[in-house]
Amino acid sequence: MREILRMNNVSVHFPVKGGLPFLKRGVIQAVSDVSLTIAHGETYGIVGESGCGKTTLANAMIGMVKPTSGEVLFAGKDLLRLPKEEFKKARQKMQMIFQDPFSSLNPRFNVYQIVSEPMFIRGEDDQEAMIARVVELLELVGLSSEDLYRYPSDFSGGQRQRLGIARAISLNPSFLVCDEPVSALDVSIHAQILNLLVMIQEQMKLTYVFISHNLADVKNICDRMAVMYLGKVMESGSSDRIFKRPLHPYTQALLAAVLDTTFDEKREQIILQGDIPSPIDPPLGCRFWQRCPQAMEGCKTIPPEHLEVEDDHVVACHLVHGFPAVELPDGYDRPVESLKK
Amino acid sequence: MKRIKGMSLFVGRLWSHKQGKIGLIMVSVLILVAVFAPFIAPFNPYDVSERTTKGLAPSAKHWLGTTINTGQDIFSMLVYGTRVSLVVGVTSGVCIAIVGSILGVMAGYIGGFVDTLLMRIVDIMLVIPTLPLVIVLTNVLGRDFWIIILIFVALGWTGLARTIRSLVLVLKNSNYVKAAELAGASRWHIMIRHILPGTSHLVIMSTALSSAGIMVAEAGLSFLGLGDPTAISWGKMLADAQSGGALLFGAWWWILAPGLGIFLAVFSFMRLGIVMEEMANPRMKQTSGVYKLFRSLDSSYVEDVLNSMDDYQQIGVGRPLEKGGATHGTNLEA
Amino acid sequence: MEPILKLRNLKVVFPTNFGLIRAVESVDLDIGDRECVALVGESGCGKSVTSQSVMRLIESPPAVTRVDAIEFAGRDIKDYGPKQMQEIRGKEMSMIFQDAMTSLNPVMTVGNQIDEMYRRHQGDSKKAARQKTVRALELIGLPEPTARANSFPHELSGGMRQRVLLAMAFACMPKLIIADEPTTALDVTIQAQVLKTLRGMQRGCGTSLLLVTHDLSVVASIADTVYVMYSGKIVEKAPVKDLFTAPQHPYTVGLMAAVPRLTDEKRKFTQIPGAVPHPARKPSGCYFHPRCDYATAECKKEMPPLVKSGADREVRCFHPLTAGGRQ
Repeated sequence: MREILRMNNVSVHFPVKGGLPFLKRGVIQAVSDVSLTIAHGETYGIVGESGCGKTTLANAMIGMVKPTSGEVLFAGKDLLRLPKEEFKKARQKMQMIFQDPFSSLNPRFNVYQIVSEPMFIRGEDDQEAMIARVVELLELVGLSSEDLYRYPSDFSGGQRQRLGIARAISLNPSFLVCDEPVSALDVSIHAQILNLLVMIQEQMKLTYVFISHNLADVKNICDRMAVMYLGKVMESGSSDRIFKRPLHPYTQALLAAVLDTTFDEKREQIILQGDIPSPIDPPLGCRFWQRCPQAMEGCKTIPPEHLEVEDDHVVACHLVHGFPAVELPDGYDRPVESLKK
Repeated sequence: MKRIKGMSLFVGRLWSHKQGKIGLIMVSVLILVAVFAPFIAPFNPYDVSERTTKGLAPSAKHWLGTTINTGQDIFSMLVYGTRVSLVVGVTSGVCIAIVGSILGVMAGYIGGFVDTLLMRIVDIMLVIPTLPLVIVLTNVLGRDFWIIILIFVALGWTGLARTIRSLVLVLKNSNYVKAAELAGASRWHIMIRHILPGTSHLVIMSTALSSAGIMVAEAGLSFLGLGDPTAISWGKMLADAQSGGALLFGAWWWILAPGLGIFLAVFSFMRLGIVMEEMANPRMKQTSGVYKLFRSLDSSYVEDVLNSMDDYQQIGVGRPLEKGGATHGTNLEA
Repeated sequence: MEPILKLRNLKVVFPTNFGLIRAVESVDLDIGDRECVALVGESGCGKSVTSQSVMRLIESPPAVTRVDAIEFAGRDIKDYGPKQMQEIRGKEMSMIFQDAMTSLNPVMTVGNQIDEMYRRHQGDSKKAARQKTVRALELIGLPEPTARANSFPHELSGGMRQRVLLAMAFACMPKLIIADEPTTALDVTIQAQVLKTLRGMQRGCGTSLLLVTHDLSVVASIADTVYVMYSGKIVEKAPVKDLFTAPQHPYTVGLMAAVPRLTDEKRKFTQIPGAVPHPARKPSGCYFHPRCDYATAECKKEMPPLVKSGADREVRCFHPLTAGGRQ
């Protein structure tokens, strides 16, 4: 495995100001203590619900957000310690596709201006070469040269997303972050964009980070993945193994919550209780214990460790590993009563 | 080249709007009058030596009569007054647009300390009562024409700066700016290519609206005797009319003329501003021209469309195919 | 089974800059007593306009609406004035919107907003109304209902707000509830909770439900009968089980195949080519023919009628799919 990106114990915290000057300032722990490696040419999925920090994590990968602690190594180089010019150069290899195809294109630019902008920024000035390149890109993503001077408002959501993809690959990047690229699109367009992404990946040998809340998408497109909850990775590793044998109760619940169109009246659903807690004051122990159907007293205070259960399958859960044998509080393995309603 | 094309496109859009057309025509007439004032005015408005023509009623020679105390030709004064109103209004409007947008973009784009400082200044400026401050300032700094413009600009940039700042904050966080940053764009590139063009409609609109506002304010100042004493402005004409006893002698034309001038100038600039605002923000439009267009269309067209939706086979009424195909393909533009 | 709602031949058009938008074209809809009917389709297919027309919420002008009948609980409400509709709305027919934040008043506590329903429609005193409110919130599964009744909408999470909307919609035990994408804005796990509550409440209160959604998986989990809409027309109607086991319209088939499943093959996504036609520039003949694999010359010329194709089933297609292959 040739790695392209490695994150070592990355945390991203945002300060929040209290409404009044004397109120305590809180800290949003958007991402805390995440380590992962992404190999060349693979698709790495990040799954989780809103507020779990998946977008912040992706932003930290491409250097749009500065980690509070930890380091991000891209192709072996620590991005944030690079001098400014080299940082910019390294980052041109990393691009992003956004969720909302409407706000990601400047409404005042025409297609040519949108797609050629990265090249323009890089300092290209041969107009004809740029037009040729833009047309080539447009054809690659399924648009045509006739669209060159049209404006984003003339396009449908799916076509705009294609434009966003053309712009992202215009600089021949090696690393592409897809932030929920299809969740704003219609179901029938969904598959078109995913197929396009797969085709481009094969053609350009790209590495994808695929952020999604849709487990079915992730299963079908990703080689490896991480399940996040409240800023922490719950389970990570090979997606085949995780889907075959989900070990973390949260992953199990997410999988069960995927409503399927295969019509089966008797399918059992694990419905999680309660809401996603605020990331301002996350629980001390396991971040998931408040909603976990199998939580034990010890989960409240002892954070679980990330341990490998099989090759390329890491889980952070006391249920799987048992509690560490140090200073355990009394009755640590009793189920949490309040949740057993 | 591109800029010129954009500009003519913009004027074209204004022109195609009925209200915008009215505004454009009126503003152009005002500008022409101001520029060619010496050719239009039949008399020298500054001439106070014509003792024999004091207090004349409107006639073929003096279209709007003459002043009671000095015998100046009111029509000529009205024509020359356009110059002061327009120059003060438009110059201040443009300066406000420049200062306000520079400071607004700075506050929004640089953020941090600059933002806090500028916004605190705006907050303070907003609570200062304007009129007393203007009176004090004109007394201290003098009543020169340029000083008055300076005062208007100094007091007028705050509102625009604040709106521009919030717009810049929105634009700055948009995904297309993020994409440009990812491609390695400098802050300068983002500012010039994405942020400034995004605020342009707001700046142009505010120029028109603040020009109108300042014309009123200038007239008010002159009326209070705080304007440039040597210049002829509509506000000063009003003040002269009042002190000269226009009401007493029933010389209504003396009051009406400058009043009408102020009204028309402000009205035309307001029109332009409001139309531009509507163009920038289509949601402001109420029942739009579209609806009128729709009403004016032969209502049988709509009936045809509605009828074409029926499942004719179900109802058992046959329908010729050619007609069916035609109704399905048509739209309003056809 | 006498239907609670009978919509006949609904047509809605909007004039716009792009031409006449033909939003809804001759839609018939039947909702039975205690039945959950789903209206499925992609954005712009007219499903929301249809549901809002039932509530008579479409403003006209600019829209032009034609309808033969809106029979609700045995009476025709198509000519009711605003006053009469106000009587019905909330009391006998209520609506749940996608965005709970904008459908709740931000400066009123949620308790007061639900109280209002009881006080307006049932003439309850302040105290009695509050008691009912707390009971309603409890039923809907909100923890600490008494305390929650005093919170403002922004103090609640998205899932809780959606529950408050449910409580409000069910407050006066209406005969029909229209839910417009009730769970689209929610997270997966919260969505499952809210859907379960919605289904439970609907069965418990004996209400009929019109569910408007683009999400087939939501339909599969709670609907009884499904109407599939495409570009303003109903293309297929079927009981939910039949629809999912043997879809007949090529669009329904495509739509189902396009939803990614956990059981799908890796890195291959079944797609429907092309895009939904612009509602002002619809193709001739069957609106789906440019995207349909089975289209023939006939499909290009004529709009197929909606025909009976089985027990309680209708399909608008010249060449419907059958379980044993093509007809």
